[in-house]
Amino acid sequence: MAANPDHLEVRCESCGATLRIEPLMRTSRCPYCDSPAVVDRPATEDRPDPVFVIPFTVDRAAAAAAIRSWLHNRRMAPTALRRARPEQVTGVYLPGYLYSATADSMYSAVVGEAYTATRVDPRSKKVRRVRRIEYHDVRGDHACHLKDVVVTASTGIPNDEIEAVEPFDLEAVLRYSPAAVAGWVSEEPSLGADECLATARDEARARIDGRLRRFLPGDTLRSLKHHVRFTAESLDLVLLPLWVFAIRHRPDREPIRLLVNGQTGAVAGEAPVSWAKVAAIAAVVLATIGAGALLGWLL
Amino acid sequence: VSETTAECSRCASARERGDHRCPVCGLANLEGVREDLPVTSVEVLRCEGCGAAMSYSASAGAPSCAFCGSVLHLETFDDPLEQADALLPFTFSRSRAEELFRGWLDSLGWFRPSDLSSTSRLESLQALWWVGWTFSTEALVSWAADSDVGTGRADWAPHVGRTEMAFEDVVAPASRGLSEAEALHLIDSYDLSSAASPESMTEPEGVVERFEVRRSQARRHVTAMIERLTLERLHQGVIPGRRFRNESIEVLARRLVTRRLGFPAWMFAYRYRGTAYRFVISGQDPECRLGDAPISVGKIALTVTAGLAALLGLLAVLVL
Repeated sequence: MAANPDHLEVRCESCGATLRIEPLMRTSRCPYCDSPAVVDRPATEDRPDPVFVIPFTVDRAAAAAAIRSWLHNRRMAPTALRRARPEQVTGVYLPGYLYSATADSMYSAVVGEAYTATRVDPRSKKVRRVRRIEYHDVRGDHACHLKDVVVTASTGIPNDEIEAVEPFDLEAVLRYSPAAVAGWVSEEPSLGADECLATARDEARARIDGRLRRFLPGDTLRSLKHHVRFTAESLDLVLLPLWVFAIRHRPDREPIRLLVNGQTGAVAGEAPVSWAKVAAIAAVVLATIGAGALLGWLL
Repeated sequence: VSETTAECSRCASARERGDHRCPVCGLANLEGVREDLPVTSVEVLRCEGCGAAMSYSASAGAPSCAFCGSVLHLETFDDPLEQADALLPFTFSRSRAEELFRGWLDSLGWFRPSDLSSTSRLESLQALWWVGWTFSTEALVSWAADSDVGTGRADWAPHVGRTEMAFEDVVAPASRGLSEAEALHLIDSYDLSSAASPESMTEPEGVVERFEVRRSQARRHVTAMIERLTLERLHQGVIPGRRFRNESIEVLARRLVTRRLGFPAWMFAYRYRGTAYRFVISGQDPECRLGDAPISVGKIALTVTAGLAALLGLLAVLVL
């Protein structure tokens, strides 16, 4: 694990009480006087200094409104969930890595071009027009700058959950300064830089794949293979603004977690499906079909 | 005064003041990032007004004090409305421009109203520096397209390739006053090497048009321009064939340098029988001008009638 396991004990500058700061936290609030404190630890390889911070622009009320309308639109979710109030709402600056590189790819694929052929049916002697594909082997090189790959650096929130609320507007990054995170929960990275680099490269490869699919001409595309070489890579620690909602709709279940992008207001999460609702709809559909069949048989 | 601060170490493009990342390749600009800290420290942000502890406020977009409401300004991302770095000088005077305008009205020909030159009233004549971004860049272009070469039974066959291109001093107009077509018409009349700092321009009393686009928007405009020109060049012999479809390009730009220039033009607004018209001459070339003028509906109708009458006459002769 990346982080230094020591708790940090500091005196609150405002009231003199002793503050205990968790090892993976960059910020804290004094429980007695509510003063926000920001910790600055010397950088290490797996816990570098943040370079950028994407500031929160969505406040608590706006995030809660986004969650309410998101829940309202989950029609197949249990009604109790759609009406639930969040149990816990936290605005957190999550550590992530911003990756960029130059990507040189060699690719090969089979591109199909469609044409219309006429065929005579041997039995009925009728002439039919059929769509046929002519295949071409294509290979080439592709080069591009890959700019805005963001991956999580926290064990708390996995990368696919971050991806679900992306994109962030990376033109609006600020340079990190303690002032930009004062008063918010801010975590230190809990994943090592090497691990994050590997995740970022995977995400970058997936993006190249998507770009090549859009890039290649023709009417059909198959057997796309590519080999990507990344050069001039950079990996910078960036703090990402996220609102984390814990919502419980049944006392015997774990609360579900929903995320709101603190910059754009995008919501993501998995709402459970109410099997009672699914069964009710299935019953109505079956009953309608059955009634139709019966009516058809009777007439 | 150029706003350029340094070169990006990945793609050698010019970074501009206030850019936290390279606009072309996204590399972080580490200038101004604080030094490594020797020891652990704990900081409480204090309000300069009342001394209370401050938090970052999402709604204010800055740290703000909950007690006295004062806001601390961070070095924020700004997207400036930019000014021209340099201007190109006017090469002829206002009176010469006015002569050229009168000469143009007289030269428009028969389909214009006969009293155009005598009745038109010049309402304003302005020396204007309209603005544009010029850019130079090297580009490694990966392309793919269907064309009519190498086809079998289908109408199309795929082609791919990669080619180096360079663009020197291409102008992307950013003017609100002139349309893009008007600006592009004037472009060739300018000598870009004559650009000089705005302070050194004295005569005539031109109004530098403000850059009406934000930096980020102008950059998108430049990117679109590079892509458009790249596609044009690809059509001129790079992609084999005459007909193309499904063209895609990926531009890897290097050494992208942009400048904001003010281009001199004389802008005329004149009125003929209550309607306003516009005329523009390049400030560096009397021959380069464009404008609109009324046409005489009566004269056109007369010509068409005369033409038809002649035709009918001819037909009548042939038939009889």
